[in-house]
Amino acid sequence: MIEARELTRRYDSVLAVDRVSFDVHPGQIVGLLGPNGAGKTTILRILTGYHYPQHGSARIGGHDVVTDPVAAKRRLGYLPENAPAYGMLTVDEYLGFIGAARSLSRAEHRAAVERLAGLCGLESVWRRPISELSKGLRQRVGLAQALLHDPDVVILDEPTSGLDPNQIREVRRIVEELGRTKTVLLSTHILSEAEAVCDRVLILDAGRIVASGTAAQIASALRTRAIVAVSLASRPGPRARHELDRIGETVEERDEPDGSARLRLMLNEGREAEDVFDWAVAHGLRLRAVVPERESLEDVFARLTAGGQR
Amino acid sequence: MKGTLAVLRKELLGSFNSPVAYVVLSAFLVFTSVWFFFIHDFFAADVASLRSYYGIMPIVFVVLIPAVTMRTWAEERAAGTDEILLTLPVGEASLVLGKYLASLSLMLLAVVLTIFVPLSVRELGQFEPGEIYGQYIGLVLLVTAGTAVGGLVSSLSRHQISAFVGTALILLFLTLAAELNAVLELAAVPAAVLRFLSFDHRFRNLNRGVLDTRDLAYFAGLTVAALYLTRAALVARKAR
Repeated sequence: MIEARELTRRYDSVLAVDRVSFDVHPGQIVGLLGPNGAGKTTILRILTGYHYPQHGSARIGGHDVVTDPVAAKRRLGYLPENAPAYGMLTVDEYLGFIGAARSLSRAEHRAAVERLAGLCGLESVWRRPISELSKGLRQRVGLAQALLHDPDVVILDEPTSGLDPNQIREVRRIVEELGRTKTVLLSTHILSEAEAVCDRVLILDAGRIVASGTAAQIASALRTRAIVAVSLASRPGPRARHELDRIGETVEERDEPDGSARLRLMLNEGREAEDVFDWAVAHGLRLRAVVPERESLEDVFARLTAGGQR
Repeated sequence: MKGTLAVLRKELLGSFNSPVAYVVLSAFLVFTSVWFFFIHDFFAADVASLRSYYGIMPIVFVVLIPAVTMRTWAEERAAGTDEILLTLPVGEASLVLGKYLASLSLMLLAVVLTIFVPLSVRELGQFEPGEIYGQYIGLVLLVTAGTAVGGLVSSLSRHQISAFVGTALILLFLTLAAELNAVLELAAVPAAVLRFLSFDHRFRNLNRGVLDTRDLAYFAGLTVAALYLTRAALVARKAR
């Protein structure tokens, strides 16, 4: 499992990560979600021993990443951002190097290669130099590199960035597969990905965790008031408008050329969408639709990370 | 140990999968042979000595060593592969040693390949074997220390080119440090320091077939210091 405690890292004067603590347990897929520059990569680099934290500590499978790095790294598979790999080597040679550096025996290595060549779809490019591979294939080589020693803990930095939709689906399938038994931590800036793949999401902004939980939990905990979209066959008169203000606050209103109207209503405390029906009936207005809007993770994310305001 | 061997093997595979190793080695052999046989005019000199052949090696190595070592760490950083390397369960010391041994192997191969020159002129006169042994010991010591210095500079460089230039300048200084005494009129202490640092000064002893333990200690000390500092540079970067 992964334990991060009060991780803090500063680059020159910029505070990249600020007292970040979290745990990831076996059988869990946790997503670090945040805009670029929020500190995702820095956290992953600390956990994998590429950087030292200036304060705080991190343990992988019980081994401290600073004081016992080799033991921690042995438990860990890591795919860095952009899947760097040695272009001069063939896929075969590269995985051979990783296996040797991880002290796999010949038999272990052969078994791992058999397992991964299929999983990652690398059979056809086995003897090709990595520099000649497409971005998608290189990403899969990186994934094979991370999984070669069948680690308990898998850390993936933006595993789907730069891939086409089919490749993204493929990588997600692999990650979900891994998540059944292993401890998986991945970073992404794609919300739908975090929503689709992760059991738990940590939203990061400017180096701090600003929300954590399942995607649904985060959305509901942070939802202020429900919003309903109302579509009317005719425009409400002034008296009806006045009454409507008691139900909720009109946040958006559009009169259509055919005389109908659409509005989005943010319901007041204790009010429900049903009140809109009663209101329409009372004023003789014909309702076309009343649709409750669930605030998506996307809205929550934008709000939490002040998206677009910077 | 396993980590060191894995890195060594990976480095050599990378070097020989690319044309770089072949180009550098052939350029070295062609240049030194042309210099010796045609420019220096070995045949016309009519002296059974290879001293002039081995004598230019330190200067040639000023360029050859950085050509081999510049990639060592700078390329890893530029390609981002250091993030793979430094997150493997291999200690920094093993990584440094593996990379060093890879550069050293290439340089030793260059030294070994020069053996064709003494072999080809063997029949032409009475060469002093002791002198040639001494010259080879000198070349090996030079390469051992120079390669370690090149690796250190590469670990401090962002680009291969700056690693090349930096290493070449340091090696040039070390090679010719004693010559500076002829140009600069220094006090006794700095002059002694320059003489102490000078490769060429020590290489000249070996070139004459004189092996001094002080020279051995100097080259060994320089090698160990450079390797130690390379490891320190890797660790320092993690905390930077």
